[in-house]
Amino acid sequence: MLVAFTVLAEAQRGGRGAPPAPPTARAAAPFDITGQWVSLITEDWRHRQFTPPKGDYASLPLSPAGRKIADSWDPARDEAAGEQCKAYGAAGLLRLPTRLRIAWQDDTTLKLETDAGTQTRTLYFGAPQGTGGDWQGLSIASWDYPRAAFAGRGGGSAPGGSLKVITTRMKPGYLRKNGVPYSADTVLTEYFDRFDVPGGDSLIVITSEVIDGEYLATPYWTSQQFKRESDTSRWNPAPCAAR
Amino acid sequence: MKNARGLVCAALVALGAPLLGQAPQIPPASAQTPAVDLSGYWSPALHEDLMERGAGSELADYGGFPLNEAGRLWALSYDPSRVTLRHHQCEAYLAPYQMRALGNFRIWEERDAHTQRLIAIHVWAQTTEGHRIIWMDGRPHPPAWAPHTFRGFSTGQFVGNALVVSTTHMKNGALRRGNGVPQSDQATLAEFFVRHGDHLTNVTVVTDPVFLSESIVRSNDYYRQPVDPGAWLYACDDGEQILDRPADAVPHYLFGQQPYVREFSTRYKLPLAASLLGGVTMYPELAARLRSTNDAEGNGLLAPARGRPSETSKAMDAEPRDGNVHVWPIRDNVYMLVGDGGNIVVQTGDQGAFVVDTGEGKLSEKVLAAIRTLSPNPIQFIANTSFRREHTGGNAALGSAGQDPSLPGSFFLVQAPRGVTGFFDDPLAHATMMAHANVQVRMQAAGAPAGAVPADTYLEDRRRKFHNGDAIELFYQPRAVTDGDSLVYFRRADVIVAGDIFSTTQYPVIDVKSGGSVQGEIKALNEILNRTVYRHQGEGGTYVVPGHGYLSDEHEVLEYRDMVVIVRDRVKAMIDAGATLQQVKAARVTADYDTQYGANMGPWTTEMFVEAVYSSLRVTAGAR
Repeated sequence: MLVAFTVLAEAQRGGRGAPPAPPTARAAAPFDITGQWVSLITEDWRHRQFTPPKGDYASLPLSPAGRKIADSWDPARDEAAGEQCKAYGAAGLLRLPTRLRIAWQDDTTLKLETDAGTQTRTLYFGAPQGTGGDWQGLSIASWDYPRAAFAGRGGGSAPGGSLKVITTRMKPGYLRKNGVPYSADTVLTEYFDRFDVPGGDSLIVITSEVIDGEYLATPYWTSQQFKRESDTSRWNPAPCAAR
Repeated sequence: MKNARGLVCAALVALGAPLLGQAPQIPPASAQTPAVDLSGYWSPALHEDLMERGAGSELADYGGFPLNEAGRLWALSYDPSRVTLRHHQCEAYLAPYQMRALGNFRIWEERDAHTQRLIAIHVWAQTTEGHRIIWMDGRPHPPAWAPHTFRGFSTGQFVGNALVVSTTHMKNGALRRGNGVPQSDQATLAEFFVRHGDHLTNVTVVTDPVFLSESIVRSNDYYRQPVDPGAWLYACDDGEQILDRPADAVPHYLFGQQPYVREFSTRYKLPLAASLLGGVTMYPELAARLRSTNDAEGNGLLAPARGRPSETSKAMDAEPRDGNVHVWPIRDNVYMLVGDGGNIVVQTGDQGAFVVDTGEGKLSEKVLAAIRTLSPNPIQFIANTSFRREHTGGNAALGSAGQDPSLPGSFFLVQAPRGVTGFFDDPLAHATMMAHANVQVRMQAAGAPAGAVPADTYLEDRRRKFHNGDAIELFYQPRAVTDGDSLVYFRRADVIVAGDIFSTTQYPVIDVKSGGSVQGEIKALNEILNRTVYRHQGEGGTYVVPGHGYLSDEHEVLEYRDMVVIVRDRVKAMIDAGATLQQVKAARVTADYDTQYGANMGPWTTEMFVEAVYSSLRVTAGAR
């Protein structure tokens, strides 16, 4: 009996006898993520549309060490050090007011550009290239499908799915423009989901979890929403700004 | 299987669906099979908007909300101490805000015991005991005349890896807590629930033609709790907060006189306009937009733009206008009939129907047919809430349907026949029609046929009748929208028929020439509120049938009362400052309500309403 169930489950997961898996990440995409998307800053508005005052870290689960760093924020020092982009690293980038352009660089690599700070994130489904250590770190992508049922109707491949991206090896940066820090050991896990509002807009919502044992007391969970733009004329690349 | 279908049908009876001909469309299993299991205990991750969701929003902080002019002005007029008013104290959260509220959530499935079809997904929110039901069984949304609730009516289906929910029929309330950002009863909500491990994300998309220039998208995050966190109750009872406050006092700020409007921008060193610009505040363009703003622009946003025509109502028409009469069960043996102009109420029972108002009379045959489906006996009584044609137009036809040859006759008819006295209707030939005496006077003056004119009238106080097991009372409301308005109260069924004193679709049609006044209208609305009792968290309980619009409870009456008081106060302030009628009209004193109630053409325009308020107050001032 147990064997029978095991075989069934294996078949459902694409084992022997199942159709071959799609050859590339691009072909396996459960939804079209490409195109231009604009952020909708409807939450934490004052903290995201403007650079908050020093020490304003409401909502953020900072550790004592994190607060100490945030309280010593000095944008002039960042500018002098050529680090205007500390708030444009992967862990903070998509909280900023920005537009995204997402495109397949090749069949296993997504390129995500922002006009805010003129940044580029590269999301690797296959073996990553490079070693990270810059603002955007090293991002490993995968399609995250809903878990299939073990048995019964609905078993087999479940519909839909998310883009899951895990980013590590980031250069230390800011979660918020006013110097709220994250460390080099930060792990950023993101889920990109596309939702089509009936009779309305297409949205991408990015649910993110930031884990930073040094500067955060607990995981930091947020979700950012973007709306698809068919008119791409508002793409407005701008350099990083520390203030 | 029979049992399963019976269960679904039982639920639909509660909604009145069989009477409306709405059949359940059981969705395919693929749309019902959960692609995501939401069941369990969930706690919100408060890493976004913590201040708003905790202590509360700052006044005049409307950034990130695509408020149109009406929405912005509504928020600026809002005084948070309005919640000290008894009827506002226990209001629940609207569905979109409920999902952002503090406190834990519990989600569970409801399945049919025999087929295991998914009937509904229930969401219980700790704060305000917010119980949402997301119907998964394919039932349709109710019609436009159905009641609204704070959580609205939700249906769902699984699409891809998400639960997609559509919600309609929400009440007026707060899109943001504490600083007046409004959401109207015309708003709709699209939602997406998606789960990643023990992390749940809920995306809300609110579309509100009344207060928003475009949809607002927000997302809420929750983490799974392994065990029941408990503390699911959130009791609330209202009480007196401020003694000796006049019944017609509603805390609000006159346009341009919100005293705290600059606190937010000053505290955070932002231009005054930054949080007042509506839709652009959501986008990256805001920074560039603010480079061209100045104090004058900010100040200009604090009051209605001058020289602009009034907006008109964006509300859905609650009249079906399909040539049919539709029946909506209210409670027990009381029903609302819509389709023939004004709303009609029918109480049924062994003693024959008691009808309140008779519509315009264009569809009287269909009205009668609908009543016969509810009660085969002759109509016994008709009560009119006013003399207006939308409420008396069917009097003659429905009155004749009271013919009952089986009756043995009446002593009074023999002693004092109507032909002589003009008073008593023949119960063998006609239903008895009741109304305030001024209804009779005005209808006779207008040349209405005798068979259409109420003969059983009263002058003061109330008229009462025990019929079909219920105590029915007519309460005179002097100088409300006319000089002959009555509220009709079914005590056991707990239903108040308000006539034109209350509407969900337009400003009150205060006919000053026929004895109406804004002061009397406010008093009449307060009379309704003095008799209502909500069932839970400010909704349900006593039903109130408007003269026009959807079946309501005290919350809709409350919002309407607040509106009339606020407009009255604005007009009075201008009169006190010496303003002429033209100046009052030019000031657009109803600008925050026009997208809900306004009209620039037709029998009752915004200008006519403002003029009626102005005239009422001028008459009062002149009388002093």
